[in-house]
Amino acid sequence: MSELEDKSGGAVSIFMGNVRNHGKHGNVAEIYYEAYREMAEEKMREIENEVHAKWNIQKLVTIHRIGKLKVGETSILIGVCSEHRHEAFEACRYIINNVKTRVPIWKKEIFEESQKWSDGILLG
Amino acid sequence: MRSDIPANYNLKVRLFAILRDVVGEGEIAITVPTGATVRFLENEILKKYPQLKSFSNKFVTSVNYKVTSGDTILSSSDEIALLPPVSGG
Repeated sequence: MSELEDKSGGAVSIFMGNVRNHGKHGNVAEIYYEAYREMAEEKMREIENEVHAKWNIQKLVTIHRIGKLKVGETSILIGVCSEHRHEAFEACRYIINNVKTRVPIWKKEIFEESQKWSDGILLG
Repeated sequence: MRSDIPANYNLKVRLFAILRDVVGEGEIAITVPTGATVRFLENEILKKYPQLKSFSNKFVTSVNYKVTSGDTILSSSDEIALLPPVSGG
């Protein structure tokens, strides 16, 4: 949390995405996340730069975990510190929406007896 | 050796997620002639790995970390990857 501390920032908004215990295809035991790491890091930096251009943001943190995660574990954490709450909320929403559509990360749902790559969004 | 005959060279192509599972490898090598486009490369990949044909409209090709159009001309130093629909977050 120290990464989000700033004396001029009166608002800190945090979004966490967690592994849900169910999906379209049944009860989920675990999720496996895979990334095209170099491109994913570049795209996340690009999104962060856009946020800084759009809003007056003091501090910003985006972390996406990869590998196997159990139900309840956090897959993505976004934290934004800004002067007022409006920018912090808006920036958080912008980041998660854009990570989901622009960053090359894939999720495979692992069920009791099967596993399936999730349907996703084709990069444009 | 005549200079107007295009030389062939090998391109490495990285595969991710379902595409890697279907092919069974995370990286494949494809031989293309000098001046080959992304579209040419994609067709060569589908010829060599016909199991990818059912995914042909379900991936995009990135060159040097950017999604490209089929007309992009490739060079031997390019970092190329096939990317299925993304599902992070």
